[in-house]
Amino acid sequence: MKRVCTIILNRNLPEITDKLCEHMLEFDGDYTDICVIEAGSDDDKLSKYTTWHAKSRSIVAQGLRYCRGMNYGLVQLVKEKKFKQYEAFFLLTNDTEFKQNGTIKTLLSVMDEHPQIGILSPCSERWGERLLLKEEATKYFWFIHNNAYLLRRDFIEDICNDKNPNMIDFLFDGNNFRGYGTEHELIAKAYANDWAAAITNLVLASENESHLIDRFDQIKTQGYAENLELYITEGRNWMRRKYGFNSIWSMQLYVKNFYDHFFEFHPEFSKYKI
Amino acid sequence: MIEHALRSHIQRRRCTLLGVGPMSVNCVDSTIEIANEYDTPIMMIASRRQVECESQGGGYVNNWSTEQFSKYVTDRDKKGKVLLCRDHGGPWQNSFEQNKGLGLKRAMESAKQSYKVDIASGFQILHLDPSIDIHGKPDIEEILNRLFELYEFCWSQAREYNQKVLFEIGTEEQSGSTNSQDELDFTLSSVLSFCKEYKVPKPTFVVIQCGTRVMEMRNVGSFDSPVRVANEIPTEIQLPKMIEICNKYEVFMKAHNTDYLSDESLQWHPRFGIHAANVAPEFGVTETKALIKILEENDLQKLSEKFLDLFYSSRKWEKWMINESTATDRERSYIAGHYTFACEDFKEIKAEASCELKRKDIELDMYLKHSIKENILRYLKNFRMVKAK
Repeated sequence: MKRVCTIILNRNLPEITDKLCEHMLEFDGDYTDICVIEAGSDDDKLSKYTTWHAKSRSIVAQGLRYCRGMNYGLVQLVKEKKFKQYEAFFLLTNDTEFKQNGTIKTLLSVMDEHPQIGILSPCSERWGERLLLKEEATKYFWFIHNNAYLLRRDFIEDICNDKNPNMIDFLFDGNNFRGYGTEHELIAKAYANDWAAAITNLVLASENESHLIDRFDQIKTQGYAENLELYITEGRNWMRRKYGFNSIWSMQLYVKNFYDHFFEFHPEFSKYKI
Repeated sequence: MIEHALRSHIQRRRCTLLGVGPMSVNCVDSTIEIANEYDTPIMMIASRRQVECESQGGGYVNNWSTEQFSKYVTDRDKKGKVLLCRDHGGPWQNSFEQNKGLGLKRAMESAKQSYKVDIASGFQILHLDPSIDIHGKPDIEEILNRLFELYEFCWSQAREYNQKVLFEIGTEEQSGSTNSQDELDFTLSSVLSFCKEYKVPKPTFVVIQCGTRVMEMRNVGSFDSPVRVANEIPTEIQLPKMIEICNKYEVFMKAHNTDYLSDESLQWHPRFGIHAANVAPEFGVTETKALIKILEENDLQKLSEKFLDLFYSSRKWEKWMINESTATDRERSYIAGHYTFACEDFKEIKAEASCELKRKDIELDMYLKHSIKENILRYLKNFRMVKAK
């Protein structure tokens, strides 16, 4: 039985997705099953490794995006009664690239060593955070980009909508379609529930944004600039509606507050505090 | 006394003190007038390129020497609200020392001479910044040694002149990146040990990089950016850590390169506990844009073209451009404008423009100052230095 299920989100870029799947099958295949979600992809642009093809009219028109997409995959696993068979879920978009050959074994060993970690992310060569990971390869953060989250199932079960699992709000808040600010929310929920969110430099992952910039028409999405503007505008409106926050900085301080509180109750983890 | 007043002001009002670069005579006048009108302290932060001592040839702003500049401000600042500050003092921080290729010893002597005149002229805050070296890349220990030498010198001069001066430290460079937390901690710890050992007052301000960087006419650092800037620690992580370190050493934190930030980002400065922030080129650009706008609005295109040509041909915009910039010639001219305000060609065109506008009952300098003041007020309001409503 594999300990991890990797969920990969694809929309109309089969060759990129296949490459990522094949990399993972070759180097991480002993540790993870792979599930590919087609977020409204055209029938002739499906990955060889497609698991689920979401193709309702609205999904075909606008895709799923990260929050709804990952919720969709997790909910499918719940529906198929496979959710509980995994210890953790590795959430990837298809533009993720790994520096090393094997990733998941190392991430699992970090999780085993740190049972309080609910969210774990590889560092990226392009992230300044690597400067903070010198003496300790793994540290706990209050802000982590969602390039490649490994989420512990116990953590998900602590915060998910288990009464009515659905793609809008099972774990991430899909009402925020493009997801600006949802990482903050997830990390706040982690610390509020006594889980930590960590970055490790033992493995590296990066996001190849060139696909979004150069192939947005193929993905059937907006151009980069328009997408960015919508991402921020929608995210800000969501923050205001949901929290009454008019600034991402308010959201940030909200998360940091839970982070600091976590260490007050867990001084034993202070060496992992940044 | 100044330190007590400043600390009390910043802490009581939970505000961020504004440092204004003296980009032009109008900018200096606007700063003095606003500080007096609103009864609010403002730091006038002169770099060595802008204002320099007589013996080193003065600066590009109105060709002022330090002595003249100080007299000009002090004579007009009726309520004593403007704090004269040296921004980025230190070796090789002016063109004279760089162009002559001075060696370390000579450059340090020259920097000391500059500070000596600052102190004698009544400058109240001195930024000691020995981070530049045109002959190499000194390590942090070497930079600290140079800092201590300047610190001791300035303190002894201040005592000699019976002047109270405050010190600002920080090896800031406009990288938009972030001097590391370890580096800040080490610097503050070393400086405070030095101050204790030599019985000199500890620095009031330390410059920290908190993700601001000015290029062209915008802030391209991570502070105002909703997306990651490659190879930088996100400001969300960096800033709270830097504040923690400054608070640990009880040294006020000063941000540089705050130009062009959004109102929202500026409003968070006092909330985060950023005690002071410098803004400079934006005010020069504001004046230049206002100058061109008023001419064009009054059908004086020939004059505006003359100005734009002069600004562009100065090529002073070059150091501000991003790689593969798509900026237009007009935008480049806006960036360069204020560097030419003291040259004779500019003065001639401006005299003609003033005459033409006067016929239409427009006082050019009044109009330009109004534009600059509006811009300064944006910062003062967002920094809680004056009431927004």
